[in-house]
Amino acid sequence: MSRLSPILPALAAVGRGTRARVSFPLMLAASSLGVLQEAVRPISWRRTVRHEFKLTMRQATGGGLATIMVTASLAGVGMVYEALYWLGVAGQAQLTGSILVTVLVRELTPLLVGLILLGRSGMLTVTELGTLQSGGQIRAMLAQGIDPFLLLILPRTLAFALSSLTLGIIFAATALVFGFIVSGAIGTVQDSLWTFLDRVLSAMTTRDYMVIPAKLLVIGYLVGLSCCLTGLSAEEEDDLSSLMPRGFVRGILAVMIASIFFTLTA
Amino acid sequence: MPEVKPVLQLVSALPFFEESALPNAPLDLQLMPGECAVIETADTARTTAFAELCSGMTPLRQGEARFMGYDWTGLDRERAAALRGRIGRIHHKGAWISMLGTHVNIMLAQLHHTREPETSIARSATELAQALGLPGLPLVRPDRLSEGDLMRAACVRAFLGAPQLLLLESAINPERPELTAPLLDLLSRALDRGAAAVCFTRDVPFWQAQSFPVTHRLHLMDDGLKPMLSV
Repeated sequence: MSRLSPILPALAAVGRGTRARVSFPLMLAASSLGVLQEAVRPISWRRTVRHEFKLTMRQATGGGLATIMVTASLAGVGMVYEALYWLGVAGQAQLTGSILVTVLVRELTPLLVGLILLGRSGMLTVTELGTLQSGGQIRAMLAQGIDPFLLLILPRTLAFALSSLTLGIIFAATALVFGFIVSGAIGTVQDSLWTFLDRVLSAMTTRDYMVIPAKLLVIGYLVGLSCCLTGLSAEEEDDLSSLMPRGFVRGILAVMIASIFFTLTA
Repeated sequence: MPEVKPVLQLVSALPFFEESALPNAPLDLQLMPGECAVIETADTARTTAFAELCSGMTPLRQGEARFMGYDWTGLDRERAAALRGRIGRIHHKGAWISMLGTHVNIMLAQLHHTREPETSIARSATELAQALGLPGLPLVRPDRLSEGDLMRAACVRAFLGAPQLLLLESAINPERPELTAPLLDLLSRALDRGAAAVCFTRDVPFWQAQSFPVTHRLHLMDDGLKPMLSV
């Protein structure tokens, strides 16, 4: 024991650093399971929880709709027009559907929707919950017998997941339709919109119909949960200047890891 | 005849010293339905810590803290939360959720713990608000209310839903004389229906002047809860 004594502080420092790094992923994993467990219990869905779910849905989906449509239009012009033009020039127009499904719908849509959800609604959640935590208001909730996990984390996480799916579908549809309209206006395509959409849908496999919604749901779920946990783990000395970057980095990592995981495994 | 259980019972309750602002001494207190204790302490952190001990939010090194016959340490998370819904508390520091309107803050615990229709809860809250001198239920956010109105709103929140235990942190004091009479009236009615109350004060003479029937008069000192010898 005495021979180890000199290196114990060094070992403690390594352990402290390791624990600090892995504590958030472990908390995220445990809370993910907790949300799923609570979500299936009818007693969890009290009216206050339902109200919070509706509010978050309205804020995340309704509030993010305009941003999603503008971003989707720009992505549509960039991707759909380019794909239609260059594949047409190369005589590979039959590949348009599969390329758009793979690149636009399966990869780009979940990524951009996750980033927009994080920036527009996730950061708001970090700020709100961080303020509640550092101001002692979470303690006041507990004193009234209100579990912050039930009232804040459960509805917000699920609302983010559902919102991500909704916004993702709107994003993909807007990008495809707007990209086609611009391409048609420029004269790149001669087909009708229905033919074009039929080509895209035909390129989608059964796996795509399962993987794309799952990817959107998981990304929204992780963005919501990581933002809630970042806000609720705020310390007294934390303020917005320390919380926001932390929440943003964690959210980006969650989006990227989920996206890469689905790309590699599905 | 059913046995009447104490509403609040502290039996040699000793919190972990490093985790609480309470004195490092066992605390004993028993409040039966209809009883009211006035506890004198000048330290607001200690007041809050004692209120949290009564609410089962402070881990104990030894002893027991019981509410309505239930030992807080033996309760799971859900039961403990449900029981805390039966406690009305006026916090020393407002403890308002800043992103909600004051009316939602007031009704939140009732909306969360009960299935009583929202209109019925709002009606009860409005009646209490009017009894405490507010024109109605305040709809603005808590930071928009004056300090006096916020205190009234805190009283409404504490008394709403017929709580079994009232923990009033510095609510009745000479700084707000206009609140004293309506608050004592509400307290008296709560005790009559079988609730118990713990009132924290820094001004014992002010309490003595109210001629309110108090069951226990105590000091919260470094060596625990001691009876007031001067009374």
